[in-house]
Amino acid sequence: MIMESKDLYSDIYDLVVKCCRDISPDVKRIIENAIEKESSPTARSMMQAMLDDVKLAQEKDKPLCQSPGFPAVYITFGDKVRPGNIKELFAKALVTATKNGYMRPSMVHPLTRKNPGDNSGERVPNFEFDYIPEQEFLDIILSFKGCGAELGNAMKVFTTAQLGKDYSGLKRFVLETVTKAGGVPCPPIALGIGIGGQMDVACRLSRRAVSTRRWDDTNPDCLYASLESELLQAINRLGIGPAGTGGDTTALAVKIEGSATHTAIAPVAINFHCWTARRAGIRIYPDGKREEIL
Amino acid sequence: MAKRINTPLTDDVVRTLKAGDNVLISGVIYTARDAAHKRLVALIEKGEELPMDVRGQVIYYVGPCPAKPGMAIGSAGPTTSGRMDPYAPILMENGLKGMIGKGRRSEAVRDAMVKHNAVYMAAIGGAGALLSKCVKAAELVAYEDLGPEAIRKLTVEDFPVVVVNDAHGNDLYEQGVKEYRKE
Repeated sequence: MIMESKDLYSDIYDLVVKCCRDISPDVKRIIENAIEKESSPTARSMMQAMLDDVKLAQEKDKPLCQSPGFPAVYITFGDKVRPGNIKELFAKALVTATKNGYMRPSMVHPLTRKNPGDNSGERVPNFEFDYIPEQEFLDIILSFKGCGAELGNAMKVFTTAQLGKDYSGLKRFVLETVTKAGGVPCPPIALGIGIGGQMDVACRLSRRAVSTRRWDDTNPDCLYASLESELLQAINRLGIGPAGTGGDTTALAVKIEGSATHTAIAPVAINFHCWTARRAGIRIYPDGKREEIL
Repeated sequence: MAKRINTPLTDDVVRTLKAGDNVLISGVIYTARDAAHKRLVALIEKGEELPMDVRGQVIYYVGPCPAKPGMAIGSAGPTTSGRMDPYAPILMENGLKGMIGKGRRSEAVRDAMVKHNAVYMAAIGGAGALLSKCVKAAELVAYEDLGPEAIRKLTVEDFPVVVVNDAHGNDLYEQGVKEYRKE
């Protein structure tokens, strides 16, 4: 079955509006728990203000942050349910949501900086399609990731020697990158780390890791899982804190995705996400049944 | 306890502010991001008049969302201040007293704050809906063609910020992090 526009458009528009007004429930819980453990009173009140902001955005039906960030869409489909003209539908939904006041016009030409004023633009949103022939359903995940966070990102192609004993080189690179970013990426942050492939693969995986997984999940890969938890603890010892003004809560999650690479290289991409985890997903079955995912 | 201050800022008020102070601002503040700063600095360099008198004023680095009917402004949280670093010292030289944004400033900007007796304050990044509640009126001042990046005059009431860089050379990003860092 190929999805028809008339069946899909309202689902897509709803995802867009949901991402403007709300953050994921798992992240709200992580922030609530962090408030309990945080030793800095200023940091505690800042995180409470963040949760109040989300609540107010819902009540007033307005975006929780003035910047919609940059939109990315992750689609997994099989032969049973195909996504049809989903690219056009997303582009239309973004323009309509902008007209309806949910998004500030923020998409510009990369060099001339010309702003068409409606969040339309070449390759907006960014799409990643994954075709799994036998998959019975269609999964659509939308993620708006803020761009102050983007300013902290870093990428390095390591050699085997540079990875270091117990990956000490990689860990140092992560901690130095987080320290350098300070308060710019709107901490408490989450970090997506892509490892492997070539440069392009590591970068794509870093965004996917932090955008398509719940921040309270456990990586099924034991090595990545232990690195995620070790790095999260190490980052939270840095003292950067919410808004970068000091505290115990610098990061809410570290998420790693990997890919095989070449013997000569170990590409590592570090991708910051601000605390506003604006992501939402939907699963559509062949009989038309819908289910929220994430 | 938060300190309450009113704009425009006098030199005496600026001197009382210390890194780490929680401050509630009331009065007029101006919005401007990179594109507007570029134009302001070009005018100064040509010796031409600015669209607003920056003496004693506070600039808020923000590109707000369009207002919904009946509201003064849409969501309006701070943007990354570092992008305005190349332009900020010349504005302070011309009398600007305060800046609001998020993230670290360059050494040149920090030095200029000490030299010209000015402060840099941070608002909570991402909390755009909450901060917009403190904006009671918004009025276009210049550069309408820049859309959300145009210069607007905002009237704010108890707008919450924390002082990051004071005019005495203190930096909360350094102090706060040092206090909570575990070696």
